Order: sequence, then structure tokens, then C-alpha cells
Amino acid sequence: MIELKNITKKYEINKNNTITALKNINIKIGEGELVIIKGSSGSGKSTLLSLIAALSKPTSGEVIVDSKRISKLPDNFASDFRQNNIGFIFQKYNLINSLSVRDNIILPLIPMNLNIDVLNTKLQNVIKMFHIEHKENVLVKNLSGGEQQRVAIARANINSPKIILADEPTANLDEKLSLAFIEILKELKFQGKTIIIATHDPLFFNFNIVDKEIKIYQGSIS
Amino acid sequence: MSSKINIYLVEYAINSLLRQKHKTFFITIILTILIFLLSSVFLITNSIKHELNATLKSLPEIIVQKSKAGRHYDIDIDMADNLLNITGVKSAIPRVWGYYYFYNSKTNFSIVGIDEYEEQYKDTLEKIATTLDFSKDSMLIGKGVNRIMSKNYYKEYFNFIKPDGSIKKMEISGVFSADTELESNDMIVMSINNAREIFDMPSAHATDIVVKIPNVDEIATIAQKIKQQYPDTKVITKDDLKISYQNIFNYKSGLFLALFIISLFTFFIIIYDKLSGLSSEEKREVGVLKAIGWRVEDVLKAKFYEGFIVSFFAYLLGLLLSFAFVYIFQAPLLKNIFIGYSELKPSFELPFVFDIQTLALIFFLSVPIYIAATIIPSWRSATLEADEVIR
Repeated sequence: MIELKNITKKYEINKNNTITALKNINIKIGEGELVIIKGSSGSGKSTLLSLIAALSKPTSGEVIVDSKRISKLPDNFASDFRQNNIGFIFQKYNLINSLSVRDNIILPLIPMNLNIDVLNTKLQNVIKMFHIEHKENVLVKNLSGGEQQRVAIARANINSPKIILADEPTANLDEKLSLAFIEILKELKFQGKTIIIATHDPLFFNFNIVDKEIKIYQGSIS
Repeated sequence: MSSKINIYLVEYAINSLLRQKHKTFFITIILTILIFLLSSVFLITNSIKHELNATLKSLPEIIVQKSKAGRHYDIDIDMADNLLNITGVKSAIPRVWGYYYFYNSKTNFSIVGIDEYEEQYKDTLEKIATTLDFSKDSMLIGKGVNRIMSKNYYKEYFNFIKPDGSIKKMEISGVFSADTELESNDMIVMSINNAREIFDMPSAHATDIVVKIPNVDEIATIAQKIKQQYPDTKVITKDDLKISYQNIFNYKSGLFLALFIISLFTFFIIIYDKLSGLSSEEKREVGVLKAIGWRVEDVLKAKFYEGFIVSFFAYLLGLLLSFAFVYIFQAPLLKNIFIGYSELKPSFELPFVFDIQTLALIFFLSVPIYIAATIIPSWRSATLEADEVIR
């Protein structure tokens, strides 16, 4: 379902200086799999997730999702791809702090201009699923870290994407909240979603629902 | 791009403005003030233009004055009969008029004397002549004169002080309004004999002579003939008057232009500030929206709504305030700057002129420019890779 072929990603710092974030990466991830991408900070895990989400384009190589070459998509098509297929949980959640829980969660649906009843049904589904219904109208900046993460997960799931990408999801959580997050992952895996988690948190390693572990070291699979 | 308005995007834009309420409030106030200044300048210009055009239309073709050593003297009325002998002249009408300085209000009134049985030199006076009672010492006064006289408790009559120091009591028999405020506001119309008495002008003299010429192509030639036949006269044609009126107006509009430029300058400083980029928080927000599936056009639509809400609100408010300022409050300060002689003449009322083109011009000078200034920096961020913006 997801295939990365000979992916190389370089970032140009200035005219004479480039950083190679990923080198010749080849990965295949099946539908419904839960994959952990391990590696230390700066190893290229986040870059890999960005490429799968079509948030950036590889310098060379191809990213193929459901037989579509998403690394070649023009910007608007890449947006549509993300809207319909990807739920991204960012490391720092990337919520809009001055908006309420509700307004943050429905953000991905805004361009779709859905009927208000459809929108509300989708909203109620995710806020119940992630137990934040009592916080619906609270400003995100007034939530705890764990609550903010659940809002970020709810936002990533509001449009029922097939693929969930999570970048260091437990980096800002204590062990209790991290375990609660793992319970949420179980639920999402049970729903048949493909989940890719970039992390160096040992909590995830040798976890029984993990289908595959990929280790990245200095931009290459080791 | 769907033509249907996305109400969630509008809601998002409103929320976005409310989230930055101090910035939004500040920009709205600045924009409103600029639009208010701009519209006030345009509205005053329109009103004065309207007044000037009407005044210019009623100007006589030629005015003949007696001139000696560069100074203006009373002219013999017999000369009017001689002027009629020039081919192309339809009529030559001696006028008795002059300024009366009212010390109490430090203002000049224009006194115009008219003859009941003679042809009047302009249409406005023909109408007034039918309402003036020539059998009594009465006069008709313009609105501005009425305002000043009433303020000084002269509601039924006014005492003119003649050159010999004696008093001439004149009854105020009515207030008239002519086609234009500019020409009638400071005017007092009375019988020619009363005007002569107040100015102490002999019956054989007049202030000047108005010459009417039906064929406009002949004006210059006839003016030249008059000048040749009567070297001691100053011959003023309609074109000369037009130029002097327009010069005064252009001089004033130069000041208008200065204000206009200052307004534009400030406006462009705001635009420059907007164009110079979004804050890091705003950039991150654009990146997040792209990352969760918004297209570039969705981001731009939201920014368009933000810009439109602020600028259109400021446009309406600025326009409304300027209409009230110019037409209800008569543009205090601004009007005095541009009507230079208001210190000496009763201030006239700016007539209401509704010009859709002016409203459109103000709209296009403000709303689209501000919207563009809002959209361009967002477009820059939205067209970058989302990953790059978030990082």
C-alpha cells in the first residue's frame, strides 16, 4: 500500500551547503499495519513522515500510496491527498491555541463545506472516541498536554483517514499518558488504519501490536 | 473554486480576526480614518466643483470696468449705450454692486442693486426681482447673510452705515436661495437706488457694465474693440474669469492633493508592513492548515474574507463618517482650509452631491488594495512546502 522507492531527501542550507536527511530509502508498508520508525533525534524520521504525507517532495525517488505516485503530485492534489488519506499527529501537536477544541478538530473539514449535520456527526464521533466531549468549547491553550494530544488525534481522525502518521507522539507526555496513547493506537489499529509512528520512546519497542520496526541511522535504514 | 460561499471559511476568518482583536481593532481604526479623510476630501471637492461649475455657467460674457493707475473706479452709465453700438453686442447692463464690511462679524456682504424695469444681467436676479418690493426700503438676503444677521439680532431689519456716517435702515423682506450657494450665500439684493445710497454712488455712475454677447466666438474680438475704443477700461472676458476661478480652485486642490498624498502614504505604510511578511505564528498556522489538507486557494479565501471584512467595514464606516462630517457638520477645519475667503465672506453650505463614481473610486483605492496586502504574504507562505513552513 505504501512504498518508498530509492528515496533521497536533501535540504539546501545555502548555495554551497546541503544536508542529506535521507539516503536511498526503500520501504514497503502493507494496509492496516502498525509500523514504528526508530532512530535518534535528527536521524530523518520526521522527514520520512513528511514525504509519506506529501508535505514535502523527495530530492530523488518515489513515494507511492495506493499505486499513486504522491511525490509527483502538484500542490493542490497533494492537499487533496492529505485531506482524504492522511491523519497527521505532530510532535508539538500544531494546534491553534486560541481556537476552541471544536474549532481545532473541524479544521480539516472546513474546505469541504459539509452540511452542518454531517460535520457535527463527525465531530461528535471523534470527541467521544477520544473522550474530550466535556472540553468541546474550551480553548486549546487551557488544556493539559494529554488533552491537547487527544485533540490532535481527534483532528487527525475527523475525516476517517486510512493512514495515521504520528511524529514523536509521546515526547511531551508522562508514562501514564503515553500508555493511554498506546491504548488509542490499539483502537485505531483495530479499526484497520495503517499507522506509522516515528519515535525513539522505548515504550513502543517490542510492543505486541507493532507489525514492523524500521531503524533509521543518519538518514539510512540500518 | 466553488462559487458557493463556504460559511465555515467565513466563520474561520471572523474567528481569526477576533483572535487578534487588538491588531484588528487598530488596523480597522487606521483604515477608517484614512478612508474618512480620503472621502471627506473627495466629497468637499465634488461640492466645490459643483458650485464652481454652476457659478461659471452664470458668468457674463464681458465685464467692463473703469481702470486708472491699476485701480478700479465707477464707470459712466452712458457708456452702456455706446457699447450697444458695437456689432454683436446684445445688451450692455450697468451694475451697481459692492462689498459692505460688517464689523461685528468681520465679514463682507456683497450688495447687488437691481432695477425693477431693466433687464437683469443674470437669470437668478430675474427671479429675485419678481419677489422684491421696490416701493419700500427692503432687501432680500442670502442664507449666509441671514445666518450672520440673525446671530447679531438683526432679524427684521439691518442698519447700514453709509460713507457719511449716517444710518440706512433696510427691512429684511426675505431669504433667497439661488442655484449655487457660492454666488448667493453672501449676497444682499435691493433696489438700485438703495444700493447707490449705501455706497454713495451718483446716479450717473455704475460699478461696472455687463456686456452680453450671444455668439461666443465673437467675445474676444468685441473685448478687443472695447479696449481700443475705451483705453481707460479694463475688459474682463468670461474666459479670464474662468481662469481666475479655476486658479483659485487649483490652488486649493493642491492642498487637497497634499492631504490625499499624506493619506495614501500612511495607507501604503500599513500595506508595506503587511507585505513585508506574516508573523512566525501566522506562518505556522498557514503551514498547519496546508498539512491537514487545505489547498492554497482555501488559505487565500480565508485571508480574502479577513481582508474584506476589515476593509469593507472600514470603508462603510469611513464613508458614513465623512458624509456626516461634510454634509451635516459642514466639514469644520477642512472646509476653511479650502475655501480661502471664508474669513471675509459668510461661510456657505456645501451642497449634497451624490456621485457614485466617487464612491467607487474610494472603494477601489481602499478595499482591493487592503485585501491584496492581506492575501499576498499568505500566498507566499501557502505556496511553500508545508513541511518547510511548519519547521
